[in-house]
Amino acid sequence: MIRHLFKLIWNKKKTHALLMIEIWASFMVLFGLASLIVYNVGNYTQPLGFEYKNVWAISLKSNQDTTDVEQKIQRALQQLKTYADVESATRMSSNFPFSANSMNNGVEYNKKKIMADFYVTDDNFAKTLDIPMATGKWYRNADSIGKYTPVIINQKAKEGLFGDENPMGKIIGERFKVVGTVNTFKAKGEFMADKPAIFELLNAKSPWNDLLLIRVKPGTDAVFEAKIVKNITSMLTGWSVEVDHLADSRKNQHNLTLVPVIIFLIVCSFLLINVALGLFGVLNLSIAKRRSEIGLRRALGATEKGISTQFIGEIWVLATFGMLVGLLFAAQFPLLNVFDLHANVYITAIVVSIIVIYLIVTLCALFPSRQAATIQPAVALHEE
Amino acid sequence: MLINYIKIAWKVLLRHPFYTFITLFGISLTLTVLMVLTSFLDHLIGSHYPETKRDRSLYIMQMLQTDSSRSSRSMGPMSFKFLTDYAKSLKTPERVTLCTFINSSNAYVGSQKIKLNTKFTDADFWQVTDFEFLEGKPYNEQNIANSDYVAVITDDFKNHYFGNTTESVIGKDVEIENIHYKVIGVVKGSPVTRPFTYADVYFPYTTPKSNYQRSGFRGGYVAILLAKNKSDLKAIQDEFQNHINRIPLPGNQDGFKYSVLEVKSDPYLENFIGTLLDGGPGLRTIFFGVIGFIMFMLMGLPAINLVNINVSRIMERASEIGIRKAFGAPVKALVWQFIVENIFITFIGGAIALVLTFIIIQLINNSGWIAYADLTININVFIISILVCLIFGLLSGVLPALRMSKLNIAEALKA
Repeated sequence: MIRHLFKLIWNKKKTHALLMIEIWASFMVLFGLASLIVYNVGNYTQPLGFEYKNVWAISLKSNQDTTDVEQKIQRALQQLKTYADVESATRMSSNFPFSANSMNNGVEYNKKKIMADFYVTDDNFAKTLDIPMATGKWYRNADSIGKYTPVIINQKAKEGLFGDENPMGKIIGERFKVVGTVNTFKAKGEFMADKPAIFELLNAKSPWNDLLLIRVKPGTDAVFEAKIVKNITSMLTGWSVEVDHLADSRKNQHNLTLVPVIIFLIVCSFLLINVALGLFGVLNLSIAKRRSEIGLRRALGATEKGISTQFIGEIWVLATFGMLVGLLFAAQFPLLNVFDLHANVYITAIVVSIIVIYLIVTLCALFPSRQAATIQPAVALHEE
Repeated sequence: MLINYIKIAWKVLLRHPFYTFITLFGISLTLTVLMVLTSFLDHLIGSHYPETKRDRSLYIMQMLQTDSSRSSRSMGPMSFKFLTDYAKSLKTPERVTLCTFINSSNAYVGSQKIKLNTKFTDADFWQVTDFEFLEGKPYNEQNIANSDYVAVITDDFKNHYFGNTTESVIGKDVEIENIHYKVIGVVKGSPVTRPFTYADVYFPYTTPKSNYQRSGFRGGYVAILLAKNKSDLKAIQDEFQNHINRIPLPGNQDGFKYSVLEVKSDPYLENFIGTLLDGGPGLRTIFFGVIGFIMFMLMGLPAINLVNINVSRIMERASEIGIRKAFGAPVKALVWQFIVENIFITFIGGAIALVLTFIIIQLINNSGWIAYADLTININVFIISILVCLIFGLLSGVLPALRMSKLNIAEALKA
């Protein structure tokens, strides 16, 4: 039966060429969309690794003031800690969670090299963002002994550098000593891929790293925000202060991911509706043209079910041809590791697109084939 | 003759409303997507309020410093001093303005917080751009020389800060980060998609926190060079490049030794694409490849669809064709008829697309999705879409018409 169908389609490959091209193109578009969605959904399911609610980022800018910058930042931090509404405060580098900034560097251990996001933070960071420790403890200022700076690494960095080895106390990148690990840390929001991250102890005496994070009590509003901005600006004349709520910055980061996906989704669904309507029209016409053939088969004893199965089978064979060509293209993506994505993402996307295409062609063929099946042999043969 | 063809086309359309629907759906939605996209691109790069002189402006946005081995580089806006020395001093342009890129800040009114973007500019900024002043006037050289704490605000910020009032707010006070500024003018705001002019509050560069005193090459400032007329653009670029070439190399900034220093003055489009395509020729190929692929899919798929339907449907009309051929109509006339029919239907689709585009553009403009969005259907966009219509008409008309014209008379009459 199947071989017969293949033969039928192959014999009329010229008339079906355009349909196959159409299915091939739809498959490619769907594959692109599915990869994007599978990738983002996959990322979304990984835990964020920290708690962002009620956390505010306070960026300080010293502008023209260049004297005792580090002391002034420390003073602002001490000042913040004195407020009753502030539960915890920490100082870090400017790449705070959900910010547009990022810092990355290569680190090496035993000839294994990874690119990791670096976060320079102080001892209160884990407490402020509520980061659970997997092993070890978050570093404290006293941990900075000798020539090594204590660092905390996340699971991904551990896998990249150590594999199954225990990372505790190991020296990486010649000047860092691992003192603990955390599970995941996705600073750019839920849609970010889980990447290696390394937290480095901040040197309180450096004039850089002028970002303060505070966790406030729930329900704290703009009145308190205005108060701290006023206090800091009057304490540090000439400095600029900007406050971002992490919950708002998170929304911005999400939009950066979601808006392109939504636009792509709208354009794709428009294309697919277009293709589906076209397929439906073409099938309708071609089945109408084959009335006499159907009449003959019915007269020779074919059942209604047999007729409609034949048409759906034919369109499936056609779709298979189109998708085989598409697979030749799509298979390159996991094989060549395009865009550095995991092969699973592409394979899932291919499977999803194949299912969706079969679903669409089946839906398109269902009505015309039902119609064909109900053709009365006497009527059809009489027309002939 | 043409009228006759169109009459036939109309009758054919009415005969099978379902197929007409499929065809029109494909054409009109494809054109709508294309037109909304082009109108969005036009919004991004065309000359619109308040940058209406964009076609005779050059933009200086980034300085690139690279070390001799090209292994590390540093890139970003420039310092006020650098731009004063090398851009403001140009002789050819009509005017040169220096302003900061977008800085963000917060203002507080009672228990409400207003997120705002600020910009420090010189007095020429108001001449180079065409802001519409709803109240008051811009600051001038005198305000700058006196270091007055004055500000020009947008109507949107006025509504947030002073409440929805129709009263004039000139001379009133706004407090931002503990500093009080006097409002000197209220302008209609610029959309966020025009980063050279977009802000909520504009300050003279001599107010505090503008960092205009910073020495060294890098800082937060960019420049717009306005030419007297379009033909001067090349001369201005050359003059600016001459100034840049005089900078001694290699240089050293904050411990970063660089041997290559690149600053470009580009028309807006190049400047805009330049930032997108910073990754070199490889990324450029990928970028254009992706764009080409998307365009191909966007236009190709519906076109294939139309061809498909037309090919199938033309057989329905085999008897009509057979009779016409039997009475001696040449192949050319028949092909011509089908092309006219297809162009006719694509134009109907185009008209529907125009209406749809208009509705979508109104929705985008009014949704507040982009503040001050001013997407329009302009003549360019319309001409492009008409051209696309024609290409569609030909693509979906020629192939079936050719196939049909090869039909044997006897066979055609039999069907």
